[in-house]
Amino acid sequence: MDPQDEEIEVRAPGIAVDFVGVSKEYLVSGKPIKALTSISINVKEGEIAAIVGPSGAGKTTVLNLIAGLEKPSEGDVKVLGLDLAVSNEHSLSAFRSANIGFIFQSYNLVSTLTAEENVELMMELAGWSDSGRNERLTAELISMVGLTDRSKHLPAQLSGGEQQRVAIARAMANDPALILADEPTGNLDLKTGLEIVKLLLRLKGEKGKTLVVTTHDDRIFEMADVIYRLENGSLGSVDRPVRVRS
Amino acid sequence: MEVWEALIGPLGFAVNSLRRRGFHSYLAFLGLTLTVATTTFLLLLGQDLATRLGIDSSMRSTFGISWLIFAYLVLALALISIVGLLSSSYLVSSMINQRMRDIGVIKAAGALPRRLLSYVTFEAFVVIFSSCLVGALSALLIYASWSWPSISLFRQVGPIPNAGATVLIVVPLTSFLLCYVVASVRVRRIVGSSSVNAISRQLSNLDLKSLGKPLRIKRLGSAFNLATRNVSRDRGFNRTILSVGICIFLSMVVLSGALVSADTSASYVVRAMPPHILIVANSNIYNQYVSLGTSFSRTAPVLSIDYVKESYIISPQNASTFRAIPGVETVDTRLITVSSITGYVKAHFASNQDTGENINTQMIPEVDTGSTQALIVGINATSPIGDWYTSDGFLQSVDSQYTMIAGDSLIGNIVQMPLNLSQISAFGFRYDVKSALVDPLNAGRVLYAPIQTVQRNLGVTGYNVLLLKVNNDPAVLSAVSQLASSFGLVVGSQDPILNSNLAFLNSTWSYIFLIPILSLALTCGILLSYLTTNFSRRFNDYVVLKVLGANVWYRLKLLLWESWGVLAISMLIAVPVAWAVSIFFLVPDPSVSVSDLELSTVVSSSALTTVSLGSAAIYSRKLGFMTVKDLKA
Repeated sequence: MDPQDEEIEVRAPGIAVDFVGVSKEYLVSGKPIKALTSISINVKEGEIAAIVGPSGAGKTTVLNLIAGLEKPSEGDVKVLGLDLAVSNEHSLSAFRSANIGFIFQSYNLVSTLTAEENVELMMELAGWSDSGRNERLTAELISMVGLTDRSKHLPAQLSGGEQQRVAIARAMANDPALILADEPTGNLDLKTGLEIVKLLLRLKGEKGKTLVVTTHDDRIFEMADVIYRLENGSLGSVDRPVRVRS
Repeated sequence: MEVWEALIGPLGFAVNSLRRRGFHSYLAFLGLTLTVATTTFLLLLGQDLATRLGIDSSMRSTFGISWLIFAYLVLALALISIVGLLSSSYLVSSMINQRMRDIGVIKAAGALPRRLLSYVTFEAFVVIFSSCLVGALSALLIYASWSWPSISLFRQVGPIPNAGATVLIVVPLTSFLLCYVVASVRVRRIVGSSSVNAISRQLSNLDLKSLGKPLRIKRLGSAFNLATRNVSRDRGFNRTILSVGICIFLSMVVLSGALVSADTSASYVVRAMPPHILIVANSNIYNQYVSLGTSFSRTAPVLSIDYVKESYIISPQNASTFRAIPGVETVDTRLITVSSITGYVKAHFASNQDTGENINTQMIPEVDTGSTQALIVGINATSPIGDWYTSDGFLQSVDSQYTMIAGDSLIGNIVQMPLNLSQISAFGFRYDVKSALVDPLNAGRVLYAPIQTVQRNLGVTGYNVLLLKVNNDPAVLSAVSQLASSFGLVVGSQDPILNSNLAFLNSTWSYIFLIPILSLALTCGILLSYLTTNFSRRFNDYVVLKVLGANVWYRLKLLLWESWGVLAISMLIAVPVAWAVSIFFLVPDPSVSVSDLELSTVVSSSALTTVSLGSAAIYSRKLGFMTVKDLKA
C-alpha cells in the first residue's frame, strides 16, 4: 500500500493544539539560536487562534511545529490528539495531508497547475482516489471561493486575491480539522484582504474548522477567539477577543 | 560597502548580479566549464590517439582497416564537437532565461534598453569567458597529467610535440563565440519583449497552450500525473527534448559506431582469413606464409625467399590427393611470390564542361604511379577460401587472364581510383585492376591473379601453398597430416595468424573506446545540467507539496517521473535513429550484431538512468530538509 494512502484518524475532542513548555533551538553556523523558549499554547476545536508578534518572534516556527514540519527541542506538542514529537516522517506526512490545511502569505500554489488542479491535488495527497468525487468537490470549493470562471487558469494568470482564494479552497480540499494560515492577508490590499477575512470566518462559522493564524491584520484579531503574542521566542501574553474589542 | 557594490557600470552590475545569484551562478559556471573542458579534452585525446595509432600502425595494419579506424575517429570527434557546442549553447540559453525576470524588472524601472542590453550581455560575457578559459586550462591539465607512460601505445610512440595545440585554441574559442552569440541574441530578444511577460517568471516558463488537456493515467498514481503536467507545461519542453535527444543520439552513434566499426574491422580480417582452415606447404613456405599473414599485426620485416624453389612446389597430382580425403571440403591451391610491380593510370579522355554549353574533351596521357614490392597470389577463382570485403567482387573464372585484384594498402598510391583506369605491370605484362579488397596478408600489399597467369609467368605447373577447409572430424586432420608428411609438407592451422591479427585489432580499438565512454560521460553531464536546472526552477513547488503533506515516497516518485520521463522520451526518439544510422550509414558492409546495439543501448540507458535517478534522489533528500521557512515569497 502506498504510504500516501495512509490516513491517520485523530480523535481529540475538545483540544486541537496543545503545546506544553515547548522550546525550539536551531544551530546556525554551529551556534545554538533559541527560536522558542518554553511556550504553552492551547487552542480548542472550532476556535480561531491568532499568533502575533514582530518578525523573528517565532510565529512561523509555531506553525511548523503544529504541522509537524519540525520537532521541538523540548516540551510536548499534541495536535488533534497526536503526539508529534514521537511520530515518524511518514506518519507526519499522512497526518498533514489528512488533517491540516495550509494558507500562506505568498499563496504558494503549485505554479504548473491550474486553480482547480491545485485544489484537486490536495485531495490526491490525502489519499482520496475517487476522481469523480474529487472533481465534484473541487467544483464546489472553487465555487465557494467565487472562482468558477477562473478555475482553468494558472496561478500566474490570477491576481493576488484570487490566488489566496484558491489557496483557501485548497486548504479546505482535504476537509481538515485544523487550518494553519501564515499572514493570509499580508500581501493583499485592504478590500481583497477583507474578502479573505470573510472567507476565513465562513470556514469557522459554517464548516466548524479550527484556525491558527499568524497575522498583523486587526480584522483577524477581531474575529480571533484567542490571541498569543510572541516576543523574542517567548510568549508575551495570551488575550481573549473580548479584551481586544474593549 | 565593498568596492564591487560601489561600482556602477557593466562590470559592477555583472559582479553584483553573479554574487547575488550565488549557487545558481556557480552552477552555470560549473556546467559550462565542465562542458568546454570535456569537449576540449575529448578532442585532444582523439587527435592524440589518431596521431599515435597512425605512427604505430604505419608499418602494419592495412589501408582499409586504418581508414575504418580513422574514419570512425573523425566521425566521433565531429559528433563530440556538435554535442559540446549544442550543450554549451543550451546551458547559456538556460542561464539567460533565469535572468528574464530581473531584466523585465530593470527595464520596467526605466533602464534604457541599450544600456540594459550591454550590462546583461557583459554579465554573460564574464561567465562564458571565464568558463571557456578555465575549461580549456582544465582540459590541458587533465590531458597533460594523463598517465601516458602506463599505456603501451604511448610508451611505444613516445611524446608528440605540439600535438593538440590547434584543438586547444579552436575548441574553447569556438565555444566562446557560439555561446556569446547565443547569449546576445537571447538577451536582445528578452530586452525587446514586453516587460510584463518578462516580470512574470511563472508565465515566462509555462506553455499555456497545453492547459486543459492533461495526461492522466490513474494506475500510475497522482505523482505521475503531476509530473506529466509539470514537464509538459514547461515552455522549454520541446527544446529540451530536442537538445537532450540529439546529445543522446550522437553519443549513442559514437558508442554503437565504435562497436560496429570494431566488429566490422574484425569481420574484414575474418572474412579474408576464415578460422579452422589448414595451411599445407613446405616448412619454409609455411613459415613465410605465417610471417606474411601476421605482418598485419607485427612490425617484424618479412624475409625474402625464393618462393618457386623446386622443393617448395606441390604438384597438381599431389594437390588433388588432398581433395580425395573424405572430410576435406575445399582445397584452395595457391602459388605465391613477391615481385616488383609498377602502377599506371591508363591514358584516357577526360571531358569537362565550361561555363557555357561547350564540352571540352581532353586526352590525359598515361601516368606512372610508382613501383613497389608486392605479394602476388595466384589463386583458383573457382575455389577460393576467403570471402574478402571487396569493392567490385573477387576474381571469377570468366575474368581475363590479365586481371588482378588489388590489396587495400596498394590503393591510393600504386593503384589509383577509379579502378577501371588503373593498371599494374608485373612479370613484364600489364594487368587490369578489377577490384580492391581488404586483406591482412602482407599487410594489404597484395595482388590476387588467376593461378594460370602466375604459373605461366613463373614457369611453374604446381602450387606452393594449399589452404584446406575440412570438417571438424579429428580423423580428417590426422589423414591430412599423414598425407602431407608423405609429401614432405607440413600442416598448420590458420587460426594463430587470425588470432594474432584480431588481438592487434582488439588492442587498437581498446584505446579508441575511451572516446565513446567519455562522450557518454559528457552526455550524462548535459542531462545532469538540464535536470538540476529544472529541479532548481521548480523547487519551490516541491517544498509546497512537502508542506501540504506529500510524503517522502510521493516526492521521490514525482522527481523520478519528471527526470526519467524526459530521459525516456528523449531516448525513445534518439535510440531508433541511432540504431538506424549505426546499421546503415557508418561503415561499408558493416558487421552489425544485435548484441552490439543492445550493449550500446543498455550502457547508454543505464548511465543516463543512473544520472536521472541519482539527481532525483539527491533533490528528494535535499527536499527533506526544507520547511515552510524555505518557501520563496
